[in-house]
Amino acid sequence: MNRRIAALSMLLVTSWIAVLSAQTDAQIARTNGFRAKTVAHEAGFRVFIVPDMEGMGSAVDSREILAGNETPAYAGRSSPDYWDRFRLLLTKEVNATIAGARVAGARSFVVNEGHGGNLFANILPWDLDTAAMLVRGFPKPLVMITGIDSTFGTLMFTGAHANAGSPGVMPHNFAFDAFTINDMKLNEVGINALIAGEMGVSVSLVSGDDVLIEETRGMLGKGFVGIVTKRAVGRSAAITYSPAHVRTMLRDGAAEAVRRERAGGIPPFTLPKPYRVDFTLRASYPDSVVTGVKALREFKLEQTGPRSFRLVTNSAREMGYLLDGIEGVVLR
Amino acid sequence: MSRRLLLAGVLLAPAALTAQTAAAPRDTTPPAAYFGVTEYQLARKKLELDMQRGGFTVYIIADMEGLASAVRNGTEMRPELRGGTPQHERFRQEMTDEVNALIAGARAGGATQFIVNEGHGGTLFRNALVELLDPEAILIRGYPKPIVMSTGLNPMVDGLMIVGAHANAGSPGIIAHNFAFDSFTVNGKVLNEAGMAAFIGGEMGVPFLLAAGDDVLTAETKEMLGPIETVTVKTAVSGSAAIALSPARVHQLLRAGAERAVRRAKAGALKPLVFEKPYRVRLCLRRQYARDEWVRTTVGRFEGMTADGGEGCFAYTTSSAEAVGNLLNEIEWTVLKP
Repeated sequence: MNRRIAALSMLLVTSWIAVLSAQTDAQIARTNGFRAKTVAHEAGFRVFIVPDMEGMGSAVDSREILAGNETPAYAGRSSPDYWDRFRLLLTKEVNATIAGARVAGARSFVVNEGHGGNLFANILPWDLDTAAMLVRGFPKPLVMITGIDSTFGTLMFTGAHANAGSPGVMPHNFAFDAFTINDMKLNEVGINALIAGEMGVSVSLVSGDDVLIEETRGMLGKGFVGIVTKRAVGRSAAITYSPAHVRTMLRDGAAEAVRRERAGGIPPFTLPKPYRVDFTLRASYPDSVVTGVKALREFKLEQTGPRSFRLVTNSAREMGYLLDGIEGVVLR
Repeated sequence: MSRRLLLAGVLLAPAALTAQTAAAPRDTTPPAAYFGVTEYQLARKKLELDMQRGGFTVYIIADMEGLASAVRNGTEMRPELRGGTPQHERFRQEMTDEVNALIAGARAGGATQFIVNEGHGGTLFRNALVELLDPEAILIRGYPKPIVMSTGLNPMVDGLMIVGAHANAGSPGIIAHNFAFDSFTVNGKVLNEAGMAAFIGGEMGVPFLLAAGDDVLTAETKEMLGPIETVTVKTAVSGSAAIALSPARVHQLLRAGAERAVRRAKAGALKPLVFEKPYRVRLCLRRQYARDEWVRTTVGRFEGMTADGGEGCFAYTTSSAEAVGNLLNEIEWTVLKP
């Protein structure tokens, strides 16, 4: 049963792991080439949106948010009929967020798939607001915030989920059982907020279950607009609201979020440098993941336990690249 | 895992497809350690945050066996992924339509808030089509959830309804069963699933207003709960055959019944189901569970449980109906375990 709960809460996990040899110089050069690319700059107030699925309205079960094709280990872990319905709901949530931001004056929108289902390709491009640029697919350089830079006025997370080990719906945190920076526990929103914070971009909106919103307040403070899309009553059960109601909340929330940003009301999330990043890979992973992480030779990792590592760095972006590297070990 | 899913379907569905419990090694973690089992008070507090003050709130339990025209478990109540057929999708829509009809009727009768709790395990309590459900409804979905069919129920609720309900275990209704039990009584009174919700709500002062299902279900529920509104959507002519009204006609009846039920409740004509305390609960596990030694002994070890009579029969005495709800939950965990 414990294994099952772990399995349910796992989004980016698989027992199917290719044992990786150390990165070659050619691989690193190729990756750096991709990292150097940018999203075209547009005029006007720019919004970067990261839609995840666990925290979206109505979703309670991993079968609703997985396509089943992520790796062979995911076969049978999806209800295709459900996932299809939830793709449309997801797309509409993003559209509502964009619509709200637009009302408050935002003019440029980049949406970066933050959910690993179907390997980061959940949104229906044909149904997405036509003004949005969509970053989709895997692997991509900064998993959840690929393409963000200092030209963005704000960062929004929709459908986010609570941290690994918390009593939220489908809680997890990348590939980790534990993740801290300078001893501060961070969830996925917190980690990405720091990367963006270093570029001067602050988080103005977070939507997800009640547990996620509360824990994120503890990390980022009161500045952002928090939208409770559902109240968790189990890891796979929740008190939920009509998708139409959730979209209304997102629309109103995004408008308020942009107003707050434009009034200069939300400071970027920062932590003192150097960052001491400590993480423990999930106990449910096979040892080959540990081996694979050790082989990421472009990062100076210190192993601090059987599955625990430390990175000391002055660059949150570098930490983001490390996350991408680890995600690659897990998903490839 | 797939076996566990299969069993999950078995529990709130028919007694027929059960033999899978034996083989594999068991995780014998005590049920209290399972997420959700002891969370019922927290779930109630969370729902109370959404409760409207000063209006009239209806709490609707949505099951599936008693839906218009539904007769067969294997094909209609279960999704393709778990051995069912695509027909299940049509009945998900029917369930959504019937809940919407109840909400429309209740609204016409003066109700102002609508909470819908998924009561059917077919897709692990994720049956309603969320985008087609009345947008004013709060929907409690997913599994596991505390006090499965009464999650979050609280004294601010003004009335309970059940739609798609099925008749009690052992009765001649369609897909008749009762949680994990062959029989369940409180102070000697027989309760079906609707009756158990009425019992838990009754202690909080919440009256039961309406039950919809086949003729056996509506008759037995009236006998248990008194002159509530009922909507008979079909007449059972076997455990898997019925004389069925048109779904469209059923929706009209549900709308009219819900409107009447709310009007009657507002006039004080429908009373909560109240039992004398302490409650003497007597239950007998469904036969295949009773025969399973591990299930039998685990259930027997729950605090306050004493063996009573036949194999797999237990007595439990308490002064809290919510505690009985929690007990149902723990038993459910136990029988659902791989």
